[in-house]
Amino acid sequence: MTASKHEPDDSETQPERRKFLTTASTVAMGAGLAGGYGAFGAIAGRFLYPARPDDRLWQFVIEADRLGLGDSVLYRGPSGETINVTRQAEAGDVSDFIALSSTCPHLGCQVHWEGQNNRYFCPCHNGTFDPAGVGTGGPPGDSGMSLPRYPLRVDSGLLFIEVPESQLADATSRETATGEVIERAPGIHAPGHDPCLACRPTDDLKT
Amino acid sequence: MTLETKRFIIAALGALFLLSLVFVQWLEVTRKAEEAGLRQAHVAVPASSKSCVDCHVQTNPGIISHWEGSTHAEKGVACVECHQAASKEADAFLHYGVTIATVVTPRDCARCHVTESEQFAASHHAKAGNILASLDNFLAETVEGARLDFNPHSPTPGKAVESVNGFASAFSGCQQCHGSKVALQSTDGGMITTDDLAPDANGIPTNLDAVGQIVRDDNGRPLFHPGTWPNTGIGRLNLDGSRGSCSACHSRHDFSPRRARQPENCGKCHLGPDHPQKEIFEESKHGVAYRDLKDDMNLDATSWVLGEDYAAAPTCATCHMSGHKRNGGEITHDPGERLSWTNRPPVSLVMDTDINHAIVKVTDPEQRRALIVDTAENKRDRMKLVCSHCHTPDYVNAFYQQYDDLVILYNEKFAKPGQQIMATLASQGLRSKTQFDEEIEWTWFYLWHHEGRRARHGASMMAPDYTHWHGMFEVAERFYTELIPQAIEIVDHAAATGKGAQAREVRAVIDSILDRPEHAWFREGAEGEAEKIRKEMERRYGQGLKTGP
Amino acid sequence: MSNPAEWVTERLPISGDQLRELTNEPVPYHLKRWWFALGGTPAYLFVVQIITGILLAFYYEAASTSAYESVRFITEEAAFGWFIRSVHKWAATLMIAAVVLHQMRVYFTGAYRKPRELNWMVGMFLLICTLMTGFTGYSLVYEQLSYWGATVGANIADTVPVVGGLIKNMMLAGETYNERTLSRFFILHAAVLPVMMVMLIAIHIMIIRLQGITEFQFKDELDTDGKAATPKTFNFFPDHLFTELIIGLLLMIVLSALATIFPATMGPPADPLVTPEVIKPEWFFYVAFRWLKLFTGTAAVLSMGFIVFTMFAWPFIDDWIRRKTRFQEASVWIGIVGVLAIIGLTVWEAVVKH
Repeated sequence: MTASKHEPDDSETQPERRKFLTTASTVAMGAGLAGGYGAFGAIAGRFLYPARPDDRLWQFVIEADRLGLGDSVLYRGPSGETINVTRQAEAGDVSDFIALSSTCPHLGCQVHWEGQNNRYFCPCHNGTFDPAGVGTGGPPGDSGMSLPRYPLRVDSGLLFIEVPESQLADATSRETATGEVIERAPGIHAPGHDPCLACRPTDDLKT
Repeated sequence: MTLETKRFIIAALGALFLLSLVFVQWLEVTRKAEEAGLRQAHVAVPASSKSCVDCHVQTNPGIISHWEGSTHAEKGVACVECHQAASKEADAFLHYGVTIATVVTPRDCARCHVTESEQFAASHHAKAGNILASLDNFLAETVEGARLDFNPHSPTPGKAVESVNGFASAFSGCQQCHGSKVALQSTDGGMITTDDLAPDANGIPTNLDAVGQIVRDDNGRPLFHPGTWPNTGIGRLNLDGSRGSCSACHSRHDFSPRRARQPENCGKCHLGPDHPQKEIFEESKHGVAYRDLKDDMNLDATSWVLGEDYAAAPTCATCHMSGHKRNGGEITHDPGERLSWTNRPPVSLVMDTDINHAIVKVTDPEQRRALIVDTAENKRDRMKLVCSHCHTPDYVNAFYQQYDDLVILYNEKFAKPGQQIMATLASQGLRSKTQFDEEIEWTWFYLWHHEGRRARHGASMMAPDYTHWHGMFEVAERFYTELIPQAIEIVDHAAATGKGAQAREVRAVIDSILDRPEHAWFREGAEGEAEKIRKEMERRYGQGLKTGP
Repeated sequence: MSNPAEWVTERLPISGDQLRELTNEPVPYHLKRWWFALGGTPAYLFVVQIITGILLAFYYEAASTSAYESVRFITEEAAFGWFIRSVHKWAATLMIAAVVLHQMRVYFTGAYRKPRELNWMVGMFLLICTLMTGFTGYSLVYEQLSYWGATVGANIADTVPVVGGLIKNMMLAGETYNERTLSRFFILHAAVLPVMMVMLIAIHIMIIRLQGITEFQFKDELDTDGKAATPKTFNFFPDHLFTELIIGLLLMIVLSALATIFPATMGPPADPLVTPEVIKPEWFFYVAFRWLKLFTGTAAVLSMGFIVFTMFAWPFIDDWIRRKTRFQEASVWIGIVGVLAIIGLTVWEAVVKH
């Protein structure tokens, strides 16, 4: 690296070859730099991008037979999405149930079930959906949007739903990253009441 | 260095950098994939059990913490799913709005684990509770304890002892392995068991008088008889009529497959002087390999199929229960399915079983053929399939030859003669009907129940020391130096006290046994034996045994 | 609007030629020797640190309740989080190493001498800022060693006479490590110190540009008759830039190799009730740590302060020695002794447990 005296140019001797070399080396250099730093940039982008769409998990919702025909529960998944789980038939298998997002695909308002009209209704822009979640009126009906559907599974009489995993790490306890039923239709038996009214751990052990 | 060279170097380095980042990407993908397998599964507390968990995490954090690590938790099976009960069940009670029962029985587990429950119900394990009316039980309840509460005979400083529970040894000893007959307290001060409740096919009691007598606390919770619960004995007789306890092996509340796969799990019961299976395993090459290679056993795996998921060493579960490559990974919860001998009784029996999984004991070949549903040979073939993952057929067959020979030697030389002597003594009225009140009854019990089993179990699982020193050696010592002399003493005593006829009967039996060639040395001496051995050796190897240095 | 280039020049009246003129400082020929590019290396790594640091700050939470968990999330769950964090950690290590090597080069070639005394002092400030950034960064992980490292560091500061208590209180936001401490470390690490360093680096480079780089001539660059065989300078652009690009890429490759082979891990979380059996700071503090163990309390801290002060003032001390004594090359020998002492203390601390 010390011997190259003629740094500026000896291009006069072989102008064609010289020019080619310059172009080729410049292109190669550009490609190398773009490839290396580009890949690093891509990794950085991937690091920042939050969604991990393939991470889904099955969560228990409710015992299948607790949900009578027409009953519906509002379920909240670990990542916060709210889902209406409804029983629409009594064939005794998973096809009886349907799980539809309760979030309107139009602008994200919460839809609710209107029994008398046999439809889901979104109060924001009068959007309506049929029992299968297909848009029938209002903005969703016009643009053919449906309520997203979630897979369900019945196992040993227990109803499970497949929902995205929570993306946020929880500092205090990982077990809170589970879904739960947050609202029950009347008539569905709710277990227990205030759970710790009778917490008497030490008294119980005294004889 | 020219600018071109520099540019090309930059290009090359850029490519190398890109390459290193591709490697990073690859690492990331592998890591994610690995994590997906290893990551602690997210625990889903089902809504139905959320309040149980919220409260019990404070009162009994151990239970919740165990459960959180279980596959049940992963799959959303929580407190209520297992503990729920029909309100008509004898031990059901309302607990914060949910009807539950404290004891989870195989009937409850069978709501999901149908096949496992059926296999278990057919197994000898499920019948372990039958001991409750047996010789062993007599030992614990009468000989060791007393079938009654009796008064203490002197004070215990610092503790007011009002009465002595004669069943204590049975409750804490026998029944913790064999299983208790779970009992509720009765208003008349007694116990209410499944016998009183007479449950129907669904486990609902039919005797409502008995149900009415159950003692309940202020919250309506039935009170268990403290001798019978806590209990995880494998043949527990439950209030709903079911038999057994799944948590005997799948201990609550994590129900860890990993633990059930390890010999220590079986070692809660299969150890000690009368059936030291765990110690035998530990002495064997199998156990030694397991101890060394435990890290390669893949014990945490979801699927644990021999030949696919691991092949480093066998545990109890591997040979007796687990799935393996040759049977398509099929697990059995009836460990008897692969056993060709039962070495439990005084004389080993061949495991030809009838439709009720009971051993066919008739001798007539025609009758046998008619009764046998599953032959011992079938069972042995099932075991050989397991063996064959690591051993060649010739090796396995020759092992079974060794095993059979030892069992038959014990049966023919000591067990059957011993049994015959004991039976004759009884039939001639030279020993009482009551067990364990005469020395010879203890002698005989030691011979078959302790030493004889050790010898046979030792041979069955390749533990030479148990086969010989803890086994046949002590069997022989017990036979020649205790059983025979004690029998002769009884005979002599009988002859001297005017029971000459009976004495002669027994004497004839003893003589006929000792006249047999295998016992001849005992009477005639074996002076010639050493010389015979030396000659035999010379013939075989061309030189005599060296005697002394 | 005829063409885009004109459109831009109209509004931003700088031409490419002017830019080139502005940046194209003639570079002394000795920079063709690679070890003279050591000043550019920490600068490059500083940029890497800023980029990876910003990325990490997207997920990091500076609170004692969540700091460890957020670092765990970055390391174990976020896509490529382990890589970014490892690069950040290794770039810090390399940066400190490069700063030290750069300083040694400057020292042993006497490049700090008149008229460059001030730039040496700016460099000393940069060194101290770099070390402080390393210290605060290490504390952010909130694992056992970071917690106790910070505690020990604060209590060392406490032994300084007069102002010690003040320094400690300012550092920890209280008498002891508490729930408000971590946010101080974070703001120092991610805002205050980096901004100071950016300014110092700007001053550092500006002074270089004003004074020109010290020029050296080496024997093999001379012809037999002693005249220069090579030109005295060469162009910064593009020649020296290419050199820097090569160094940059080499550093990136080394960094990703280190990050993949020795990724940053997680120690046990901080526990204020249990001090770990073996407690060590980051390797670049080994010297100071060992020194503090050799002497005790205030004496150790004061002696260390004196050494740092001597380093700051070295250009003037050296000048005084050269003028007043006949030991013209005293600095070389003192430097060798100093380097050996630093290496010795570092290795000593590294090999022993306590």
